[in-house]
Amino acid sequence: MDRNQITKWLKSPAKMANKYSLHAVYFCTGCGIIEIPPVITSRWDAERFGVLPVATPRQGNLFMITGYVSLKTLRAIIRTYEQMPDPKYTVGFGSCPINGGMYWDSYNTIKHLDKYIPVDGWIAGCMPRPEAVFIGVTHLWTLIDKGKADGYVRYKKNYAAYRRNQELILGKIDWPPLYP
Amino acid sequence: MTSPLQEDLESRFKDVEVRALEQNRVSVLVPSGSIPLILRYLKDNGRDHLALISCVDWIEQGEFEVVYVLTSYMPNDTEHGPGQRLHVLLKTRIPREDPQLKSAIAVFDNAEPYERELHELYGVNFEGHPRLIPLFLEREYEIPPFRKDFDMRKYVEETFGSIPSVDG
Repeated sequence: MDRNQITKWLKSPAKMANKYSLHAVYFCTGCGIIEIPPVITSRWDAERFGVLPVATPRQGNLFMITGYVSLKTLRAIIRTYEQMPDPKYTVGFGSCPINGGMYWDSYNTIKHLDKYIPVDGWIAGCMPRPEAVFIGVTHLWTLIDKGKADGYVRYKKNYAAYRRNQELILGKIDWPPLYP
Repeated sequence: MTSPLQEDLESRFKDVEVRALEQNRVSVLVPSGSIPLILRYLKDNGRDHLALISCVDWIEQGEFEVVYVLTSYMPNDTEHGPGQRLHVLLKTRIPREDPQLKSAIAVFDNAEPYERELHELYGVNFEGHPRLIPLFLEREYEIPPFRKDFDMRKYVEETFGSIPSVDG
Protein backbone atom coordinates (compact mmCIF):
# COMPACT_ATOMS: atom_id res chain seq x y z
CA MET A 1 0.00 0.00 0.00
CA ASP A 2 1.15 3.47 -0.84
CA ARG A 3 2.13 5.25 2.41
CA ASN A 4 1.11 8.62 1.00
CA GLN A 5 -2.46 7.44 0.85
CA ILE A 6 -2.79 6.41 4.50
CA THR A 7 -4.62 9.62 5.42
CA LYS A 8 -7.08 9.02 2.60
CA TRP A 9 -7.68 5.49 3.81
CA LEU A 10 -8.33 6.67 7.34
CA LYS A 11 -10.58 9.47 6.18
CA SER A 12 -12.90 7.51 3.91
CA PRO A 13 -12.09 3.81 3.86
CA ALA A 14 -15.24 2.88 1.96
CA LYS A 15 -14.44 5.20 -0.91
CA MET A 16 -10.85 3.94 -1.12
CA ALA A 17 -11.91 0.31 -1.05
CA ASN A 18 -14.48 1.01 -3.69
CA LYS A 19 -11.96 2.77 -5.88
CA TYR A 20 -9.48 -0.11 -5.87
CA SER A 21 -11.98 -2.85 -6.53
CA LEU A 22 -13.62 -1.93 -9.80
CA HIS A 23 -15.58 -4.89 -11.08
CA ALA A 24 -16.35 -4.50 -14.75
CA VAL A 25 -19.53 -6.02 -16.10
CA TYR A 26 -18.58 -8.32 -18.93
CA PHE A 27 -20.97 -6.74 -21.39
CA CYS A 28 -19.98 -6.87 -25.04
CA THR A 29 -21.04 -4.16 -27.45
CA GLY A 30 -19.67 -3.56 -30.90
CA CYS A 31 -16.06 -4.07 -31.87
CA GLY A 32 -14.37 -2.59 -28.78
CA ILE A 33 -14.87 -5.73 -26.75
CA ILE A 34 -12.05 -7.30 -28.75
CA GLU A 35 -9.65 -5.10 -26.74
CA ILE A 36 -10.96 -6.33 -23.39
CA PRO A 37 -9.67 -9.97 -23.34
CA PRO A 38 -6.00 -8.84 -23.61
CA VAL A 39 -6.71 -6.16 -21.00
CA ILE A 40 -7.99 -8.60 -18.40
CA THR A 41 -5.64 -11.49 -19.16
CA SER A 42 -1.91 -11.88 -18.61
CA ARG A 43 -0.64 -9.58 -21.35
CA TRP A 44 -1.88 -6.37 -19.72
CA ASP A 45 -3.43 -7.83 -16.57
CA ALA A 46 -6.10 -5.41 -15.42
CA GLU A 47 -6.00 -6.95 -11.94
CA ARG A 48 -2.92 -4.83 -11.24
CA PHE A 49 -5.38 -1.94 -11.20
CA GLY A 50 -8.01 -3.83 -9.28
CA VAL A 51 -10.24 -4.27 -12.31
CA LEU A 52 -11.88 -7.65 -12.66
CA PRO A 53 -14.60 -8.79 -15.02
CA VAL A 54 -17.72 -10.18 -13.40
CA ALA A 55 -20.45 -12.25 -14.88
CA THR A 56 -23.59 -10.47 -13.79
CA PRO A 57 -24.52 -6.80 -13.42
CA ARG A 58 -25.56 -7.36 -9.82
CA GLN A 59 -21.90 -7.97 -8.88
CA GLY A 60 -20.35 -5.17 -10.89
CA ASN A 61 -19.75 -1.47 -10.43
CA LEU A 62 -17.89 -0.53 -13.61
CA PHE A 63 -19.81 -0.55 -16.87
CA MET A 64 -17.80 -0.12 -20.05
CA ILE A 65 -19.74 0.50 -23.26
CA THR A 66 -17.24 -0.78 -25.77
CA GLY A 67 -18.62 0.24 -29.14
CA TYR A 68 -21.52 1.40 -31.22
CA VAL A 69 -24.90 1.13 -29.55
CA SER A 70 -27.80 -0.01 -31.68
CA LEU A 71 -31.32 0.45 -30.38
CA LYS A 72 -31.62 -3.19 -29.39
CA THR A 73 -28.35 -2.93 -27.46
CA LEU A 74 -29.49 0.28 -25.79
CA ARG A 75 -32.44 -1.58 -24.33
CA ALA A 76 -30.05 -4.19 -22.88
CA ILE A 77 -27.67 -1.48 -21.64
CA ILE A 78 -30.41 0.32 -19.73
CA ARG A 79 -31.60 -2.93 -18.15
CA THR A 80 -28.05 -3.86 -17.18
CA TYR A 81 -27.25 -0.43 -15.81
CA GLU A 82 -30.37 -0.32 -13.68
CA GLN A 83 -29.56 -3.69 -12.14
CA MET A 84 -26.10 -2.66 -10.96
CA PRO A 85 -25.78 -1.68 -7.28
CA ASP A 86 -24.70 1.82 -6.27
CA PRO A 87 -22.06 3.21 -6.51
CA LYS A 88 -21.61 2.45 -10.19
CA TYR A 89 -19.44 4.04 -12.83
CA THR A 90 -19.98 4.13 -16.59
CA VAL A 91 -17.18 4.59 -19.10
CA GLY A 92 -17.74 5.00 -22.83
CA PHE A 93 -14.99 3.23 -24.72
CA GLY A 94 -14.21 4.20 -28.31
CA SER A 95 -15.61 6.99 -30.41
CA CYS A 96 -19.00 5.46 -31.20
CA PRO A 97 -20.68 5.91 -27.79
CA ILE A 98 -19.32 9.49 -27.65
CA ASN A 99 -20.93 10.84 -30.81
CA GLY A 100 -21.78 7.95 -33.09
CA GLY A 101 -18.33 7.84 -34.69
CA MET A 102 -18.49 6.32 -38.13
CA TYR A 103 -22.15 5.42 -37.48
CA TRP A 104 -23.22 9.06 -37.42
CA ASP A 105 -25.52 8.55 -40.42
CA SER A 106 -26.82 5.18 -39.34
CA TYR A 107 -30.56 4.73 -39.05
CA ASN A 108 -30.40 2.30 -36.13
CA THR A 109 -27.49 3.47 -33.96
CA ILE A 110 -27.79 6.04 -31.19
CA LYS A 111 -25.36 8.93 -31.40
CA HIS A 112 -24.90 10.22 -27.85
CA LEU A 113 -24.93 7.63 -25.12
CA ASP A 114 -25.08 10.25 -22.35
CA LYS A 115 -28.58 11.24 -23.41
CA TYR A 116 -29.88 7.87 -22.22
CA ILE A 117 -27.67 6.87 -19.28
CA PRO A 118 -25.19 9.00 -17.31
CA VAL A 119 -21.55 8.53 -18.30
CA ASP A 120 -18.66 9.31 -15.97
CA GLY A 121 -15.81 9.26 -18.45
CA TRP A 122 -14.86 8.63 -22.02
CA ILE A 123 -11.94 6.83 -23.61
CA ALA A 124 -11.68 8.26 -27.10
CA GLY A 125 -10.18 6.48 -30.07
CA CYS A 126 -11.03 3.94 -32.70
CA MET A 127 -9.85 1.63 -31.26
CA PRO A 128 -8.26 2.75 -28.00
CA ARG A 129 -5.21 0.70 -27.07
CA PRO A 130 -5.39 -1.45 -23.92
CA GLU A 131 -3.09 1.07 -22.24
CA ALA A 132 -5.84 3.64 -22.73
CA VAL A 133 -8.12 1.54 -20.55
CA PHE A 134 -5.63 1.88 -17.67
CA ILE A 135 -5.28 5.62 -18.24
CA GLY A 136 -9.08 5.73 -18.12
CA VAL A 137 -9.11 3.72 -14.89
CA THR A 138 -6.56 5.99 -13.20
CA HIS A 139 -8.57 9.04 -14.30
CA LEU A 140 -11.65 7.38 -12.85
CA TRP A 141 -9.76 7.00 -9.54
CA THR A 142 -9.09 10.72 -9.53
CA LEU A 143 -12.74 11.43 -10.25
CA ILE A 144 -13.84 9.11 -7.43
CA ASP A 145 -11.38 10.84 -5.07
CA LYS A 146 -12.81 14.23 -5.89
CA GLY A 147 -16.37 12.94 -5.75
CA LYS A 148 -16.97 13.82 -9.40
CA ALA A 149 -17.78 10.31 -10.63
CA ASP A 150 -21.40 10.83 -9.64
CA GLY A 151 -23.26 9.35 -12.59
CA TYR A 152 -25.49 7.21 -10.40
CA VAL A 153 -26.42 10.28 -8.34
CA ARG A 154 -27.25 12.24 -11.48
CA TYR A 155 -29.29 9.29 -12.76
CA LYS A 156 -31.39 9.35 -9.64
CA LYS A 157 -31.71 13.14 -9.69
CA ASN A 158 -32.63 13.45 -13.39
CA TYR A 159 -34.36 10.12 -13.75
CA ALA A 160 -37.47 11.65 -15.28
CA ALA A 161 -35.44 13.22 -18.09
CA TYR A 162 -33.45 10.06 -18.75
CA ARG A 163 -36.55 7.92 -18.80
CA ARG A 164 -38.26 10.39 -21.15
CA ASN A 165 -35.32 10.16 -23.58
CA GLN A 166 -35.30 6.37 -23.36
CA GLU A 167 -38.99 6.24 -24.15
CA LEU A 168 -38.60 8.74 -26.99
CA ILE A 169 -36.11 6.54 -28.78
CA LEU A 170 -37.25 3.04 -27.79
CA GLY A 171 -40.98 3.56 -27.75
CA LYS A 172 -42.64 1.47 -25.10
CA ILE A 173 -40.33 0.23 -22.34
CA ASP A 174 -41.60 -2.98 -20.80
CA TRP A 175 -40.20 -2.56 -17.29
CA PRO A 176 -41.34 -0.18 -14.56
CA PRO A 177 -39.38 3.00 -13.71
CA LEU A 178 -36.41 2.44 -11.40
CA TYR A 179 -37.17 5.55 -9.33
CA PRO A 180 -40.91 6.09 -9.56
CA MET B 1 -18.83 -20.96 -74.23
CA THR B 2 -21.89 -22.80 -73.00
CA SER B 3 -21.69 -24.78 -69.81
CA PRO B 4 -23.75 -27.91 -69.20
CA LEU B 5 -25.73 -26.00 -66.58
CA GLN B 6 -26.70 -23.35 -69.13
CA GLU B 7 -27.98 -25.88 -71.67
CA ASP B 8 -29.78 -27.73 -68.94
CA LEU B 9 -31.58 -24.66 -67.57
CA GLU B 10 -32.43 -23.21 -70.97
CA SER B 11 -33.93 -26.46 -72.16
CA ARG B 12 -36.01 -26.99 -69.03
CA PHE B 13 -37.29 -23.51 -68.21
CA LYS B 14 -38.35 -20.67 -70.44
CA ASP B 15 -37.16 -17.03 -70.23
CA VAL B 16 -33.97 -18.08 -68.51
CA GLU B 17 -30.93 -15.92 -69.20
CA VAL B 18 -27.64 -17.56 -68.20
CA ARG B 19 -24.42 -15.57 -68.17
CA ALA B 20 -20.98 -16.81 -67.13
CA LEU B 21 -19.38 -14.14 -64.95
CA GLU B 22 -16.10 -15.78 -64.08
CA GLN B 23 -14.65 -19.22 -64.36
CA ASN B 24 -16.74 -20.69 -61.55
CA ARG B 25 -19.50 -18.12 -61.23
CA VAL B 26 -22.73 -18.12 -63.20
CA SER B 27 -25.51 -15.55 -63.17
CA VAL B 28 -29.01 -16.80 -63.98
CA LEU B 29 -31.82 -14.28 -64.56
CA VAL B 30 -35.27 -15.84 -64.29
CA PRO B 31 -38.86 -14.57 -64.07
CA SER B 32 -40.04 -14.22 -60.49
CA GLY B 33 -42.81 -16.82 -60.76
CA SER B 34 -40.46 -19.71 -61.43
CA ILE B 35 -38.12 -19.09 -58.47
CA PRO B 36 -39.29 -22.01 -56.28
CA LEU B 37 -39.21 -24.43 -59.23
CA ILE B 38 -35.70 -23.46 -60.29
CA LEU B 39 -34.45 -23.45 -56.69
CA ARG B 40 -35.82 -26.97 -56.28
CA TYR B 41 -34.23 -28.05 -59.54
CA LEU B 42 -30.84 -26.57 -58.62
CA LYS B 43 -30.97 -28.09 -55.16
CA ASP B 44 -31.64 -31.53 -56.58
CA ASN B 45 -28.72 -31.10 -58.98
CA GLY B 46 -25.85 -30.38 -56.65
CA ARG B 47 -26.44 -26.74 -55.62
CA ASP B 48 -27.53 -27.74 -52.11
CA HIS B 49 -26.31 -24.73 -50.13
CA LEU B 50 -28.22 -21.44 -50.07
CA ALA B 51 -25.49 -19.07 -48.94
CA LEU B 52 -27.41 -15.82 -49.04
CA ILE B 53 -30.46 -13.99 -50.29
CA SER B 54 -29.72 -10.41 -51.19
CA CYS B 55 -31.54 -7.55 -52.81
CA VAL B 56 -30.60 -4.62 -55.04
CA ASP B 57 -32.76 -1.53 -55.37
CA TRP B 58 -32.76 -0.31 -59.02
CA ILE B 59 -34.76 2.83 -58.33
CA GLU B 60 -34.56 4.30 -61.87
CA GLN B 61 -36.00 1.15 -63.36
CA GLY B 62 -38.55 0.81 -60.56
CA GLU B 63 -37.45 -2.71 -59.75
CA PHE B 64 -35.90 -4.79 -57.02
CA GLU B 65 -33.42 -7.45 -57.99
CA VAL B 66 -33.48 -10.34 -55.53
CA VAL B 67 -30.34 -12.47 -55.68
CA TYR B 68 -30.10 -16.02 -54.37
CA VAL B 69 -26.50 -17.18 -53.96
CA LEU B 70 -26.32 -20.93 -54.34
CA THR B 71 -23.34 -23.18 -54.08
CA SER B 72 -22.58 -26.74 -53.08
CA TYR B 73 -21.27 -28.06 -49.79
CA MET B 74 -18.94 -30.56 -51.44
CA PRO B 75 -16.64 -29.49 -54.29
CA ASN B 76 -17.55 -31.11 -57.57
CA ASP B 77 -14.43 -32.17 -59.44
CA THR B 78 -16.14 -33.17 -62.64
CA GLU B 79 -17.49 -29.74 -63.56
CA HIS B 80 -14.41 -27.62 -63.03
CA GLY B 81 -10.91 -27.86 -61.79
CA PRO B 82 -10.24 -29.88 -58.66
CA GLY B 83 -11.70 -28.45 -55.48
CA GLN B 84 -13.70 -25.71 -57.17
CA ARG B 85 -17.29 -25.01 -56.45
CA LEU B 86 -19.69 -23.52 -58.96
CA HIS B 87 -21.48 -20.50 -57.56
CA VAL B 88 -24.89 -19.81 -59.05
CA LEU B 89 -26.31 -16.31 -58.65
CA LEU B 90 -30.00 -16.75 -59.25
CA LYS B 91 -31.51 -13.33 -59.95
CA THR B 92 -35.04 -12.17 -60.43
CA ARG B 93 -36.65 -8.80 -60.95
CA ILE B 94 -39.80 -7.74 -59.11
CA PRO B 95 -41.66 -4.40 -59.29
CA ARG B 96 -40.75 -1.85 -56.65
CA GLU B 97 -44.32 -0.73 -56.08
CA ASP B 98 -45.71 -4.11 -55.04
CA PRO B 99 -42.76 -6.40 -54.25
CA GLN B 100 -44.21 -9.90 -53.93
CA LEU B 101 -42.24 -13.09 -54.14
CA LYS B 102 -42.91 -16.72 -53.30
CA SER B 103 -41.07 -17.85 -50.18
CA ALA B 104 -38.18 -20.28 -50.63
CA ILE B 105 -38.56 -21.90 -47.21
CA ALA B 106 -40.17 -25.00 -48.70
CA VAL B 107 -36.95 -25.66 -50.60
CA PHE B 108 -34.29 -24.24 -48.28
CA ASP B 109 -35.12 -24.02 -44.56
CA ASN B 110 -32.38 -21.50 -43.94
CA ALA B 111 -34.12 -18.96 -46.17
CA GLU B 112 -36.26 -17.98 -43.18
CA PRO B 113 -34.00 -15.31 -41.59
CA TYR B 114 -32.84 -14.00 -44.98
CA GLU B 115 -36.41 -13.40 -46.08
CA ARG B 116 -37.26 -11.73 -42.80
CA GLU B 117 -34.24 -9.48 -43.26
CA LEU B 118 -35.28 -8.47 -46.78
CA HIS B 119 -38.80 -7.89 -45.54
CA GLU B 120 -37.71 -5.42 -42.88
CA LEU B 121 -34.91 -3.70 -44.82
CA TYR B 122 -36.50 -3.54 -48.30
CA GLY B 123 -40.18 -4.26 -47.70
CA VAL B 124 -40.24 -7.32 -49.97
CA ASN B 125 -43.26 -9.44 -49.14
CA PHE B 126 -42.65 -13.18 -49.16
CA GLU B 127 -45.81 -15.19 -49.71
CA GLY B 128 -45.99 -18.27 -47.55
CA HIS B 129 -43.47 -17.12 -44.95
CA PRO B 130 -44.73 -18.24 -41.53
CA ARG B 131 -43.59 -15.18 -39.54
CA LEU B 132 -42.55 -12.02 -41.29
CA ILE B 133 -41.65 -10.11 -38.11
CA PRO B 134 -38.67 -7.75 -37.70
CA LEU B 135 -35.31 -9.43 -37.35
CA PHE B 136 -32.94 -6.65 -36.25
CA LEU B 137 -34.81 -3.37 -36.11
CA GLU B 138 -36.56 -1.94 -33.07
CA ARG B 139 -38.36 1.06 -34.50
CA GLU B 140 -41.07 1.41 -37.10
CA TYR B 141 -39.83 2.99 -40.33
CA GLU B 142 -42.15 4.65 -42.83
CA ILE B 143 -39.95 3.56 -45.73
CA PRO B 144 -37.84 0.44 -45.23
CA PRO B 145 -34.36 1.82 -44.50
CA PHE B 146 -32.37 0.09 -47.24
CA ARG B 147 -34.49 1.49 -50.06
CA LYS B 148 -32.80 4.18 -52.09
CA ASP B 149 -35.53 6.73 -51.43
CA PHE B 150 -35.07 6.47 -47.65
CA ASP B 151 -33.46 9.78 -46.68
CA MET B 152 -31.08 8.59 -44.01
CA ARG B 153 -29.61 11.99 -43.07
CA LYS B 154 -33.05 13.53 -42.62
CA TYR B 155 -34.25 10.54 -40.61
CA VAL B 156 -31.19 10.63 -38.33
CA GLU B 157 -31.55 14.36 -37.78
CA GLU B 158 -35.24 14.08 -36.98
CA THR B 159 -34.98 11.00 -34.78
CA PHE B 160 -31.69 11.18 -32.94
CA GLY B 161 -31.14 14.93 -33.28
CA SER B 162 -34.44 15.71 -31.59
CA ILE B 163 -33.52 13.94 -28.34
CA PRO B 164 -32.65 16.65 -25.80
CA SER B 165 -29.51 16.48 -23.67
CA VAL B 166 -29.87 15.83 -19.97
CA ASP B 167 -28.35 18.65 -17.92
CA GLY B 168 -27.09 18.51 -14.36
